Order: sequence, then C-alpha cells, then structure tokens
Amino acid sequence: MQRLLFIGFLALMTVGITSSVLMDKGNTESLRKVILKSRPIAEILEELGDRPLNHAIDKIDPEKVKMGEDLVFLGQTTINGSASKRISSYFVCTDCHNTTREFENIADDDAGDRLSYAINNGLPYLPASTFWGIYNRTTFYNKDYVKKYGDLVTNARDTLENAVQLCAKYCSSGRYLEEWEVDAIMHYYKSLELKLSDIQIKDKELSGIGDVKSLSADRKAELIDLIKSKYALKYDATFLETMPREERKYGEGGNVKNGEKIYEKACMFCHENKRVTYLHLDKSKLSAQMLWRNRKNWKDKSPYQIVRHGTYSKAGRKQYMPLYTEEKMSDEQLNDLVAYIKQLAGK
Amino acid sequence: MRNLIVALCCTIAVTGFSQEVQETFNGTRIVNGHSTETLKSHILQFRISHRFGDMAGEFGGVQQWFGLDNAADIRFAFEYGITDKWMVGIGRSKGTGNPYSSLVDGFTKYRILSQTKDNKMPLSLAVMGATTVSYMKASSDLTQVSSFPDFAHRMAYSAQVLVARKFGERFSLQFAPTYVHRNYVGLNDENGIFALGTGANLKITKGFGLIAEYYHVLNATDLRENQGSKNSLSVGGEFATNGHIFRINLTNSKGFTETQFIPLTFSDWMEGQFRLGFSITRNFKL
Repeated sequence: MQRLLFIGFLALMTVGITSSVLMDKGNTESLRKVILKSRPIAEILEELGDRPLNHAIDKIDPEKVKMGEDLVFLGQTTINGSASKRISSYFVCTDCHNTTREFENIADDDAGDRLSYAINNGLPYLPASTFWGIYNRTTFYNKDYVKKYGDLVTNARDTLENAVQLCAKYCSSGRYLEEWEVDAIMHYYKSLELKLSDIQIKDKELSGIGDVKSLSADRKAELIDLIKSKYALKYDATFLETMPREERKYGEGGNVKNGEKIYEKACMFCHENKRVTYLHLDKSKLSAQMLWRNRKNWKDKSPYQIVRHGTYSKAGRKQYMPLYTEEKMSDEQLNDLVAYIKQLAGK
Repeated sequence: MRNLIVALCCTIAVTGFSQEVQETFNGTRIVNGHSTETLKSHILQFRISHRFGDMAGEFGGVQQWFGLDNAADIRFAFEYGITDKWMVGIGRSKGTGNPYSSLVDGFTKYRILSQTKDNKMPLSLAVMGATTVSYMKASSDLTQVSSFPDFAHRMAYSAQVLVARKFGERFSLQFAPTYVHRNYVGLNDENGIFALGTGANLKITKGFGLIAEYYHVLNATDLRENQGSKNSLSVGGEFATNGHIFRINLTNSKGFTETQFIPLTFSDWMEGQFRLGFSITRNFKL
C-alpha cells in the first residue's frame, strides 16, 4: 500500500513539474511575442539592416513630447515658464490632421475604409493625413501638392522637418518654427510611431525575427520588404478638377447616410459655430438650401467646387479651406454628400 | 440678490452642456442697436456706418438726390471679441450736429445666457454698456447744450439688457430695455430716459434677411413731444457673406449709438424724413 502511495505521489510530481515547465515555456513564448509586437517598427527595420529614417530619433524625451503635443493641439506651449508665440492665428494642426489611426488596413489609403473607420471610431473626416505613423513615412507633400505649393515642396518631400515647416508657414498661414519647436514636434511624432502590433502581419511571416543575428541577408531583406508592405510609407495626393456639370449626379443614387456622416465629420467639423471659418453651417434647411442652390455653379458655395479646390489664403483673410484630394474624399463620397444636402434642403 | 446669483449660476451650469443656438442675428447689431450676438474670441471687426440725408420731405427729394447728397452721420469703429461672449468696441462718429458732433464712443457687451437647441435655455441674454463723449468745440452760446460748461457735460451713457429668442431657423425677436443718461440736457429735457427696444430678423436665405427695429421711449413723453422728438424706427435688409455683413436700411434716426438715436431722433417717417443708411463690417482674425 505504501509503495502504491509512493508511486502515485511520484506520478503526480512528474505530471506537475512537466506541466509547469511546459506552461512556463508557453508563457515565455507569449511574453516574447508581446515584447516583439510592442517594439517600434522603425527600430526593427534598422536592426534588420534598413537605412535609418532621415528624421530618426534615438531616445524619446517625454518633456519634448508634451511640448510637441501642445504645439500640435494648441498651436503654442510653455517654455521657460512662459507661453510661446502662437504658430498661427488661424489654424492649429488638428484642424486638418487627426492624431490617431485612420484606417482598418493601414497599408491602404482607400477613402471608403477611411470614412468607415472615422464613423466607427468617432473621428473627424479631415482633408490631411493623420500624424499617427507619420514618423514611419518617408515622403511628404506627394504627387499633386506641387500644383499648389510649387517649388516649396521640393525640400519638404523627403524631409519631415521641412514638411513640418512648410505646413506651419504656408498651410496654417503661420510662421516658420524655431528649432526647438520642430524638435518638440518630432518627438511628439516619435511618440505616435507605428509598433509591430499596429500592422496586420502573421506570426508565421515573422519567423526568425526574434534572433536577427542568425538571419541570412536575403531573409533580412525579405522581412524589411514584408514589414514595409504592411503600412503606408507615403500618402498620395491627387488633386481633381471640379467635376464638369454633365458628370455631376447631384446626389442621384448616393448614400444619404454616408453623406450625413461626411457633412457632420468633414463640413461641420470646421464650420459649425464658425469654429475655424466665418461661415456657419449646421443641419438646418437654410444651410443645405444654400449649398443645393449652388450645386450647378463653379463658385465656392458649390459642394463640387469647394471640395475639390478649397479656397486660398489672401491678405485680410488668411484662413482658408483646404481642398479634399481624391484619396481623402472620393467622387462617390462627394455624391453621397450632395445626396444628403439635397435631402436636408427638402428637395 | 445672493439667491439670484445662485439661480443664474445654476442655470448657466445646467445649460453648459447643451448645444447653443447659432446666428440668432447675423451680426452684433440689428440696425442701429445692439443684438445679443458677440464677436468670437480674437476677431477684430472693422465697421463703417453711414446715414444719408432725408429721402423725401422738405430737405429731401430730387434736389438732394433723395438724400444721397447729404451725410447725416458717419461712424467708423473697431470692435473686438475678447472671449466668445465678451466684446468691446470703440468708434468715432461725425455726429448729427443736433446737438452734438465729433463723438467718440466705447462700449462693452457680455452675453450671459445663450439659447440652447434643447430649449433648456429658451432665451439669449446679453448686457451692454456704452458711453459717448463729444470733443466738438464748445458753443459760446450758454443756452445751448453744446456749450459744455464742464467736461462731464460732454458725456452720455447707456445701459441695455438684450433678450432674444430664435424661433425656428428663420425668425428671431429681441427686446431691449434700455436706460440712457445724458449728463447735460436742455431746459425742457430729461437726463435719464428709459426706452424699450424691439428688433427682429427674418432670414429669407442663408445669406439674406430682413431686419426691423423700433425703440419706444417710455418716460418724459410730454417734454419730448414739445421738442419734436420721435421714436426710432428702422427697416432694412442684410447680406451676410464670408467675413462681411452688408446692411442697407431706411431709418428716421440720424445718429448711431444708443445715446444718440434713442433720445435724439427728431425725424418723422410720415413727413418723408427717413433716410437711406448702410453699414459694412469686415472681420479679421488676430
């Protein structure tokens, strides 16, 4: 009987120790995955041998992040105990840029996906790209921005610091930033950089990434390409001409619900209560009738004109409306918007 | 008094999270008088206002090209929004000459309550205080008001409570109990005058509306009748565009500020003594 009890005790011990070892192994594996997934993509790419980003920051400074965040959200911050000079009297960065994820699939820049994401996550639907992940992008003011800013985009295209300066001076009708301000904003961008967990990639695809030194050069290159294919390295900007009258559908077949969301999240974000502009727009018949009445025109009050051209900053009225590129509002979405305006106008 | 303040604070707190009704009136004025609207924070507004001569009657008609040959009064002003609810302004008027000319005025206005969309607050309420001072050369005729024995005699003040409501999308109505105090008045006149102003705005489109305003003086009626005073009545239209408001009106008043058009309107609509007027505002964001 004693022997039987002893054998039973031994068996239990064996089972216990084995399962504990196995569980530990599983936990360690999970922990390793968590650590890996929370690592910044830029750091991983550099480790794999990719060229460092032009604007790479080695160590993030929380104080600078806070100052950068203030500059982005408020247009000024506190330095040496005093309020800094406002970047612009007319805009703050977040009038046109979100600071969070904007797409379910961040490898794409589909306007439909962007709108759905904005609706599901309570985000405004803005004309410029998000700052979230801007640290990981390599080119800025892409494609047609040259049409608006000419040679000014040349130096801004491959250098994030220069892109920030162009935005501060011209896009926000403000001033060039001082060096410490650019530095603070760059640190804030760094705080919004992409982590491995932000991209849609399978564990299997990442095999070997935990031990980079043992990887072959080919595998490293393969991993670099793979990771980079999972997020947008740049956002294109296609400027469309105002739609010719014969092509305008005036809301026919448009999705009114989508249109309502665009009106709320794009138009009213700036226009409600004249937040950024002098023109107040709300969900009233009068507002909608004004836009509907001008639908056939080529004037600023026509949705077809204003969405594609915006307005321009000029002496005495520096605040202006930026245009929506094709990537930020598709023609289909524009038709949805007009369909909603039509309904709101009672037509 | 304490209860009143507590009640007011509670009301403001309760309505603090409700959406405010916008554009009860298109601008900070209806025609001559103030509306409950204030300029938004950091907005500087430049305002030019003009009143021509009588369109008809003895001093109007074709010989005066219906009043366009004459300028009853002209005012230039800069007004500024300190916060979204508190604004100040300073202006200079030619003055009507009856009795004052060369006027400088200043005012401050604060919107205490704003009408909300959910009707938790059914009205907008603002208070306004203004003062005018004439720097015209004093008359040597001591029987004239403009002889100004002391500097203080050049000054006049007004205080208003503006109460407005927007009914639906198109129509807004305002009442404005007003007190005007002139430091120095003629023998048969009253220093302190109470008046009730009413104003309305009917929006035809988003950018165009009809406006009307009437100020009824409540006291010193006999004295005023003797000296030919009339109540101020104005009608007009307004065009609002991006950053501009252009108003064109017909009014029997010549002066602009409350210390002028409420006690010192002498023209009679029924005798053709009304005039064309306009005002243009331009906003600048600072």
